[in-house]
Amino acid sequence: MRMKKPAVVFATAALMTLAACGGGSGSSKGPSANPTNAGNGGSAGSFKNADAKAPLAVPSDASTGGTFTVLTNQVPSTLDPTQAYYTDSTAILSDLVLRSLTQYAYDPDTNDMQLIPDMAVDLGKPSADNKSWTFTLRDGLKYEDGTAVKAEDVAYAVKRSFAIAELPDGPTYQTTFFLDGDKYKGPFKDKGDYAGVTTSGNDITIKMRRPFTDMDYYASFPTFTAIPQAKDNPQTYGKKPLATGPYKFADYKPGTELKLVKNDQWDPNSDPGRLQAVDGWDFKFGQDTAKLENVIINDKGSSQTTLTYDNVTPSSYRAISSDKGRLVTGTSPCTYMWYLDTTKIKELEVRQAIGWAYPYQAAWKAGGEIQGLTRVPGTAILPPGTAGRVDYQALDGQDGKTTDPAKAKALLSKAGYKPGEYELKFLFATDDDQSVAAKNEIVKGLKAAGFKATPIASTSETIRTDRTDYKSPINVRSSGWCSDWPTGGSWFPAQWAGSLVGVEGMPNIANFKQADMDAQQNKILDTMTPEEAGPAWGEFDKTMETKYYPAVNTGYSGTAMIHGSKVGGMDNDNVRGMPTFARMYITK
Amino acid sequence: MGIQPTELSTDDVHEDADVAVREEVAGRSPTQIALTRLKADKIAVTCIIVVILFVLIAALAPLLTKLFGVELHQGNPVTDLDQFNFPNYGPPDHGFTWKAPLGIAPNTANDLTAEWFYGARTSLFVATVSTVVATIIGVVVGLFAGFSRGWLDRLINFVIDVFLSLPFILVALALAPIIVGRFGSQPGRLVMWQFISLLTVLSLFGWMTLARLVRGEVLSLREREFVMAARVIGVPTRRILFKELLPNLIAPIIVSISLGLPAFVTAEAGLAFLGIGVTGYPSWGQTINKAVNYFNTYPIYLYAPVLGILVLVMALNLLGDAVRDAFDPKTRR
Repeated sequence: MRMKKPAVVFATAALMTLAACGGGSGSSKGPSANPTNAGNGGSAGSFKNADAKAPLAVPSDASTGGTFTVLTNQVPSTLDPTQAYYTDSTAILSDLVLRSLTQYAYDPDTNDMQLIPDMAVDLGKPSADNKSWTFTLRDGLKYEDGTAVKAEDVAYAVKRSFAIAELPDGPTYQTTFFLDGDKYKGPFKDKGDYAGVTTSGNDITIKMRRPFTDMDYYASFPTFTAIPQAKDNPQTYGKKPLATGPYKFADYKPGTELKLVKNDQWDPNSDPGRLQAVDGWDFKFGQDTAKLENVIINDKGSSQTTLTYDNVTPSSYRAISSDKGRLVTGTSPCTYMWYLDTTKIKELEVRQAIGWAYPYQAAWKAGGEIQGLTRVPGTAILPPGTAGRVDYQALDGQDGKTTDPAKAKALLSKAGYKPGEYELKFLFATDDDQSVAAKNEIVKGLKAAGFKATPIASTSETIRTDRTDYKSPINVRSSGWCSDWPTGGSWFPAQWAGSLVGVEGMPNIANFKQADMDAQQNKILDTMTPEEAGPAWGEFDKTMETKYYPAVNTGYSGTAMIHGSKVGGMDNDNVRGMPTFARMYITK
Repeated sequence: MGIQPTELSTDDVHEDADVAVREEVAGRSPTQIALTRLKADKIAVTCIIVVILFVLIAALAPLLTKLFGVELHQGNPVTDLDQFNFPNYGPPDHGFTWKAPLGIAPNTANDLTAEWFYGARTSLFVATVSTVVATIIGVVVGLFAGFSRGWLDRLINFVIDVFLSLPFILVALALAPIIVGRFGSQPGRLVMWQFISLLTVLSLFGWMTLARLVRGEVLSLREREFVMAARVIGVPTRRILFKELLPNLIAPIIVSISLGLPAFVTAEAGLAFLGIGVTGYPSWGQTINKAVNYFNTYPIYLYAPVLGILVLVMALNLLGDAVRDAFDPKTRR
């Protein structure tokens, strides 16, 4: 799916133009990219824990009370549960306010996020063919006003997610996978029944029109919370959604501020993933980056309980690096890539030569990324933290940060091109300093490797439309992709399916269409169980890159957030690249 | 009735002294008087020296960078920067080195000395060309408006009003993406056209005040006897404008130029700071834009171009004031 944070979209749109910058020289400062159990094609089971027990223990160093201040440059576009699709809005809603059928919880032992039950007692029970999923609600769940949460309310929330005309911009997998997803238009337009979701007692059953192995992950979106139909008004519900989680809306000024206070109807004994350790949260949106970084770094008074979820800038990174305890690093599930247009760059050798020619580290630095911190080097398309991910080297010896002009030249001459003969054209944004600086380094690197580099100028505003234009005179496109959930199922069908070539908006950026790869994808989607699908996607990743090399991995996005000295329990939620709000507390 | 000289005592007559003073005054044009005054003005002389220094730096930028052994975009971010993307050598963190007298830029490792020299070049070139073009437009338009009377005067005044009411920054902001869209696929021509559009925008918005000033002066001058006389004996209008009126306008024009130059230096830096203007070429405004985030962690990055602009603009402004004072018949210093 698209990069989620609005500002990230902006920043990266420009950056990705060309540079997509990334990872690092494996410095000792390295982020906890933590690929330990992410790689190795392990079982998907390590990413799920259906037996997580409530309540979550309160850490011994937690004090009671206090208020967190969260300062950010971002502005969430909406906090309606159905529309929330950006990393910041989903994290705020899911971690603090709204419970869904399932949830992600931070696992300190592995430094990874685990999928655990939330309102449901388990992670859902799929039918044998994965065409029907049943979730059972816990007993005694209540809204902030004390009324009971019913299975019908969750069913209504599912129906509501089809109302794309009234509630646009939310996730849309339901239209692809759910029964009648292409026909049903939501409860506001379609007054009749929707056969795709049924309830019986505490059970909610969702029926599919094609096998959907990742429903348990998808059920963690705020889309799958409980919304009482009687209290819903699609225009205003997002201003004050009815809380089921540990905190509720006290005051929300869209675009400026969100104040949360304790929800006394939330029962810790029903929730295995969340704490209610502070009195309230005060989110301030649209803050100036330099100012908020200074406030947090100075760490005086109330700034000791202040944090941000914006990535730290290099200039502040050095200031905070003496105080490592206040810096939270990790990965977020996005991969930046140089998509090589396979309809224009037809020779495999030339594509592989680009992989050796790309000046990874120089372009990352020039683009203002901190090596190994806000960009992490890698070769697999699936980022660390994805179930079944295989760590491999598509080009022998290429570890995602090594540039070798000699090898590039050798491959070029093997393909029959003299140095300076093969032309690579790519976009950059003239009004973005970092984009221009990264472009300069890329041109330098490509020239050294025997390519002719022609950067095409664009602007931050037009670069995305220029990039997705099939007629653009470019043969390399810089972009990226982020997980919706940590399996290959939210990656390859969305960007690498041959059927997407030629579709408006250019979802298949590399114009990659190979019959054998498409067949393998369909096999995974239609015949495999969730446990088999994870490793199968990992293998698919490896096969595609090794055999065709349609994209140069220019690094995974990293997260580096700073916080005040009394902020406890703040880790990186590597599913979203956000702080683990659900477990945070103020230290004694 | 007056006293006859012969009736005065010889002691009262100081013929020699009187004559000497009169001779000196008689032989000097207003410009000469102004130059004499300027020469006596210590601030003006200092400013002229500073400005000449900057002009030399701008003109000799390639030579100077060679002399210092630096060049544009020479750095390699991979080897020259540490893990924080900060420089591995150079002031202020690592002490002075001739390898990079003003340090290197974080993130890109570009040499800041070279950027500073070439930045001076961009600033002065843009300011000079824009001033010259704006002055020519302003003088010509002002002369015609003042001398023509009737509909042409009204039309020109209307055009001046239109240009004065256009928001300068908005036009510059709107023009930049158009240029990029049109020439984006030709990297070489893009820089040239960005330069041309920058110069055009600056000149197009810099001539109106001078045009009004010149028009006012012409309105009063054209009723004078020497202009009347010229018209009576049939001197062509063009000749009257450029040979009779223009020389009398030298003073306000020079003052306008000397005050316009620093304004254009600041305007160019301001536009570059906003990300419009020339992108493929170093300029002080761009460097400042990149450096603001480093104001407390790597101050030299910001201070070098800021100091450059400050000194240059101050020198030009003080010089402009001095020139105005020198040309103003009402000042007596």
